[in-house]
Amino acid sequence: MSTLKNVVQIDHLVKRYRNVEALADVSVKIPPGITGLLGPNGSGKSTLIKSLLGLVQANEGSGDILGYPWPSQVREIREKVGYLPEDDCYIAGLNGIESVALMGNLSGLPKIEGLRRAHEICDFCDFGEERYRPVESFSTGMRQKLKFAQALVHDPPLLILDEPTTGLDPAQRDSMLRRIKTLCTQYGKAVLLSTHILPDVKAICDSVIIMVEGQVRVVDTLEKLSQPIEPTIHVTVQGESSAFVERLLHEQLTVDSDGEGGLRISPVGLSEVQGIWEIAAETRTMIRRLVPAMNSLDQLFIETAGATQKPAVSGERKVS
Amino acid sequence: MAIHHLGYREWEQPRTGHWLRPKYIALSGIALVWRRKWLRLMLMLAWLPIAVPAFGIFAFESSLNEPGFLRVVANLIAGPLQRPDIAFMVLTDPESARHEVWTLLIMAFFRYPQLSAMILLVGLIAPMLISYDLRSRAYLLYFSRPLRIIDYILGKAAVVWFFLGMIVTVPALSLYVVGVLLSPNLSVVQETWDIPLRILGASFVLLVPTTALAICYSACTSESRYASFAWFATWILGSVAYQVMTFSDVEFRPDRRPRPNLSQPAAMVQPSVEAGSIDLDRWRILSPYHALGKVQAWVFGLDPTVGSVLPTLLLLSGITVFGFWIVRRRLISLLSV
Repeated sequence: MSTLKNVVQIDHLVKRYRNVEALADVSVKIPPGITGLLGPNGSGKSTLIKSLLGLVQANEGSGDILGYPWPSQVREIREKVGYLPEDDCYIAGLNGIESVALMGNLSGLPKIEGLRRAHEICDFCDFGEERYRPVESFSTGMRQKLKFAQALVHDPPLLILDEPTTGLDPAQRDSMLRRIKTLCTQYGKAVLLSTHILPDVKAICDSVIIMVEGQVRVVDTLEKLSQPIEPTIHVTVQGESSAFVERLLHEQLTVDSDGEGGLRISPVGLSEVQGIWEIAAETRTMIRRLVPAMNSLDQLFIETAGATQKPAVSGERKVS
Repeated sequence: MAIHHLGYREWEQPRTGHWLRPKYIALSGIALVWRRKWLRLMLMLAWLPIAVPAFGIFAFESSLNEPGFLRVVANLIAGPLQRPDIAFMVLTDPESARHEVWTLLIMAFFRYPQLSAMILLVGLIAPMLISYDLRSRAYLLYFSRPLRIIDYILGKAAVVWFFLGMIVTVPALSLYVVGVLLSPNLSVVQETWDIPLRILGASFVLLVPTTALAICYSACTSESRYASFAWFATWILGSVAYQVMTFSDVEFRPDRRPRPNLSQPAAMVQPSVEAGSIDLDRWRILSPYHALGKVQAWVFGLDPTVGSVLPTLLLLSGITVFGFWIVRRRLISLLSV
């Protein structure tokens, strides 16, 4: 798995529900590491995931997942993928440990080994004695952990997690994110994390895919996405700044308010910062903070979700 | 943290074959159903009717040494089992009637107590098999594993087959073994070797269409009580419709038919004119209960007329194919959302 450049490579995936095009010519490459899959409601994230697993039949498209041709070998792919569904789903009547063991058995673990492994994974997921309780009596958070354990029991190289932190309290959410990070960094698991919670993405993801209206709009690493398109600095001043701003505009620079009292000035590289200090001195403006500006993921997400452009190619960004 | 907590560990052992996966679904379903006390009680009670045919076989085998039993057996066969022709054979040449007697007694066991027990048992366990998965959306968990829809259906059907086998096939085979053990010598095996095969055949006829119908109802709703209701309604309404349609043309009058005279040769034992005018097969396709009885009688060799069996055979095949097809369509449509 580690030799694969991309764990998932899908080209021209189209999924239609009668007249509705849920996925429109989607091409994605998911590298090893943790990839965040973002998008507003109805953007096609879950359909994409279900298509990758063969749960819904794609109308068009080809590719490979973990080296297996997709969609012709979805059964082999499912054996190597751990899936945590977004929906509240459980096998009624079974207790926690039986549920995890059964999922292990269905993924190819022998009967006894499945039970042993289920206990091991329940320990990893911080399940105590509650593993012996019927799953119907589980709280939302425990069901979420149970689904995570079920996704992990057969030691898959790729985890597809659909909203894994929904319903978790802050401490459990933190533990869940740490577990995901550990699996990726220490055990080489690739993770596709579909979520609405941007802080989760910022906390653990290496790269991000943003989908809007069934199209992939943004595919890039989080590091690159954080960089502004043109060199920008972020300045916070104390007191009145109108003279400072007027002077900057006079110098043909672009000045935007960040909405929190700060200014984003572009295009200004680090080498041109001296000029900003000089303008501040001339206009008698006190600069409290001056740092290279970073793009906010929230801002990028909102801009992308609002944009109506053609899909972007991997490695590029097209945001209005 | 528990002291035995080892953290995450990788797992790189050989995986089991895909063909084993339905087994795990079945085992899990069987374990779940087995937890119900009423079911265990019902399984025990379902074995009780075996005593009647066992007594019949015992009496028949004993009659070879003690002729006093012959009339008991003949009355049982001619009366409740409605086969005066075989009763006559018992009285005239008991040795040659062994195969027919055994077959008839085992068939009767299948036909009456076990078919009724089957209807009750399946109506209580099958409706929840798939409907619970629909309600709790467990199908997403199943199908995110390397399972085909057919594996899932087979796994669920196997749960029903297991419990039906426990109340139908296993007791019937046990009855046969008991019969052999009660016989004066083991030469009876030579005469009756085909009966176990017929038991398996009749079990197949019973298990497959009924299971297809039951899990079809279960797949159509997330409320298992509706599936139960549909199941029982099918049997009750089918049976009522059959009775009404079959006997609607018969003029009711006191039954003046003479009791079968067992001293007459078989050819002379004729049904009364009224009974003979009733076409018992015409409306069998309305009732799964009567359709099953017809086909099982054919499998046991007690109704050799293939032509009259064909419509009911087609009906049961149709129920099987249509039932499994509906389940498959339903699962595909659920996964497509």
